[in-house]
Amino acid sequence: MIQLVFNGLVTGLLIALPALALALTFSVLRFANYAIGAMLTVGAYAAFGFNTLAGWPLPLATLGGMAAGALVAVGVNELVYERLRGCSGVTLLVASIGVALALENVVRFIAGNSPRGYAVALARPLRLFGLRINFEQITTLFAVVAVLAGIWVLFRFTRIGRAMRAVADNPDLAAVRGIGRRGVVTVVWALSGALAALAGVLIGLDATLDPQMGWTYTLPVFTAAILGGLASPMAAVAGALVLGVAEELATTVLAPQYRNIVAFLVMAVILLVRPSGLFGARWLTR
Amino acid sequence: MTAYLIATLALVAISTIAGLALNLQWGLGGLVNFGLFGFVMLGAYTCGLLNVAGWPPLLAMAAAILVTGLASATVSLISIRLSDDYLAIVSLGFAESLRLFISYEEWLTRGTLGVPGIMRPFAGWVPPSAADAVFLAFAVVCLAIVYTVFEILARSPFGRTLRATREDPMVAEALGKNVLWLRLRAFGLGGAALGIAGSLHAFNYTYIDPTQFGPVITAYAFMAVIIGGRGSNTGVLLAGFTVVLLLEGSRFLIDAFGLLDGAQLAALRLFLVGVALVTILIFKPNGFVREYRLISPTKERS
Amino acid sequence: MSALDVQGIEAGYGARSILHGVDLTVGDRGSLTVVGPNGSGKSTLMKVVVGLIRPSRGRIRLLGEDVTGLGAPARARRGVGYVPQEANVFRNMSVRENLKLGFEFIPSRQPSGFAGRLEAMLDLFPELADRLGTLAGHLSGGQRQMVAMAAALMPAPALLALDEPSAGLSPRNAGLLFAAIARIVESGVAVFMIEQNTRLGLGAVEDGLVLVAGQVRARAPAQALLADPEMRRLYLGAEATP
Repeated sequence: MIQLVFNGLVTGLLIALPALALALTFSVLRFANYAIGAMLTVGAYAAFGFNTLAGWPLPLATLGGMAAGALVAVGVNELVYERLRGCSGVTLLVASIGVALALENVVRFIAGNSPRGYAVALARPLRLFGLRINFEQITTLFAVVAVLAGIWVLFRFTRIGRAMRAVADNPDLAAVRGIGRRGVVTVVWALSGALAALAGVLIGLDATLDPQMGWTYTLPVFTAAILGGLASPMAAVAGALVLGVAEELATTVLAPQYRNIVAFLVMAVILLVRPSGLFGARWLTR
Repeated sequence: MTAYLIATLALVAISTIAGLALNLQWGLGGLVNFGLFGFVMLGAYTCGLLNVAGWPPLLAMAAAILVTGLASATVSLISIRLSDDYLAIVSLGFAESLRLFISYEEWLTRGTLGVPGIMRPFAGWVPPSAADAVFLAFAVVCLAIVYTVFEILARSPFGRTLRATREDPMVAEALGKNVLWLRLRAFGLGGAALGIAGSLHAFNYTYIDPTQFGPVITAYAFMAVIIGGRGSNTGVLLAGFTVVLLLEGSRFLIDAFGLLDGAQLAALRLFLVGVALVTILIFKPNGFVREYRLISPTKERS
Repeated sequence: MSALDVQGIEAGYGARSILHGVDLTVGDRGSLTVVGPNGSGKSTLMKVVVGLIRPSRGRIRLLGEDVTGLGAPARARRGVGYVPQEANVFRNMSVRENLKLGFEFIPSRQPSGFAGRLEAMLDLFPELADRLGTLAGHLSGGQRQMVAMAAALMPAPALLALDEPSAGLSPRNAGLLFAAIARIVESGVAVFMIEQNTRLGLGAVEDGLVLVAGQVRARAPAQALLADPEMRRLYLGAEATP
């Protein structure tokens, strides 16, 4: 039981970063980015390239992957979303599914369909307080918690963090307070791309890399963000942890391959019962 | 060559029906259905499994239409009070869940092995050499029926109110139209058409397995609607018979060149579909055919 | 040199023209309230001044610099401190963060840093002193107006532009707010205000301007306008009677 909860929390942490990225772009740009899964895949494969082809050690390759993810996200924004500025959220939504298809198939074209793995040494799992903890879980735990703490500090205590929250809160007022929208949007996309890429690497470590990996995570990532209230980035993290544990506990009654069905059921219930999310009440709208 | 052409045209007819379904849901009603491929899959499996179990093809197809329509309406209920972003993910979630279910519940669906031996309608009555042509004719008749019905719907009060809810749900609500009920019917009717598309898919291949159904089907339908012009059934028809024909045709054409392997070709094609979707949204957001309007264009411009 | 100099403004929405050649100036340490009946073009004038609407004709100068072609963010950075009528605070952020955001994206015109400006604002609005940690969305309407005004004043703007500050406030809160506005005017910040409530609006400033049907009908010291029975009868309505 405790083992299940622990595994669930680690699964939740894997979902947390892209869910946070999704909620971040939604809160600032007011559209749901369906390419979040494809961004995750691109980042994971970029890190794979740095790791196996260039021979960089994995931590460095991960940073490279995050930089590549950020660049791709910013580039896509310039090429696609900025040009669609002023269109409805639904149009951007449809555009993002086109982006998802394009990105995923760039990866497939270059790297092929077969699963890949990072060049890392296998380590024996640890035993701690009766818990079986493997090396990938420890990596995930430390990496995600450290990044989340960093993001929290960024949002709370830095100038650019305040600017992002201000644009999310009230874009018109942000403009008359001298905050340039364009710069904030660029930072939001860079951050979102980097977070998705890091999650991609961690998921690739946990299982394998394949071009479909991001698409498989799209549903849980959206569920987590909706659980958190879709417009509040930090609440998406809490949503991800709740979902991770729920998915893991559900394996006691459902086959493990039905994780995504669990995510869908959780989403359906939350939308029917409390569409503002578990923690959405705190977001004050005009 | 004729065989290729007939096979491709059958695929085009099926994709165009899916496009028309999406045009009713999204084009007219503003209801984003990213899970479109799931409803096609549901239609195909309902029709295929019932048929293999001994139901006559047309009866199995009727059942598939009913099941898919009802399933669509039910799925749309989950988020019908919320904005369109939510219906998009809910429909996608349904589609992914259905694909998992069909892939693993082998007692019912034979899982990844797939369902072989699906009988086409009228299969016993025609010589095998003409079977493909007869099936194509059947698919085209289905397409014509869907087009006619949806065109009548679009010009009816139902269609006009649906467009009004797309522009602004508040306005329609203020006019006393029950928006929820209206959207439910639109999504259900679109779903029924997807049931037709799914059934035709099953008849066309006479064998179905879970890998045949993926987001690409959704992307094709969106392409048809966006290129054709949101809300215009005629536009979807034209787009289906040009763009989808080109894309499907390229499947056979590029095979001739030996530069890229099959997987790379498939990836390239899907990449182009994605790029095309985005490009049209940016440069030709209203598509190529105008939506039917009650108001005359001159009046509208003033 | 005047803080704000508006000359020959014609503006409107689409083809419909609302302002027909409006001229006005606000002196370096001056203050001006624009009053007039509903639909006279007050809001359009405010939007033209802060850069939300481009005029079809005319010039706008800020401290002598021509800003006619600049949008709202660029004018904000050149010293226009705008307080919109509605949605004028970041609701999900604390009062302190609101003030910080007012300060850090606009070059300050005074050498004192954030702490110094914050102190000056708390002198002006003592009510905010023990609310710095509260989310702005949880404040009362009057306090929210004060936060909005303080945020706009943080970088010591060349011109404070107030859009109907009394809107939605109870008479008591409106009274408190206009007392604070009078203190701001006193301190020497140039103020440009549009206001529905003529008695409050003219009572807090030096000069008044009556706008009717998109044209300047009268311009005089605020007290003189308030005292003129003809003006009151014709344009300012019954509410101007003390």
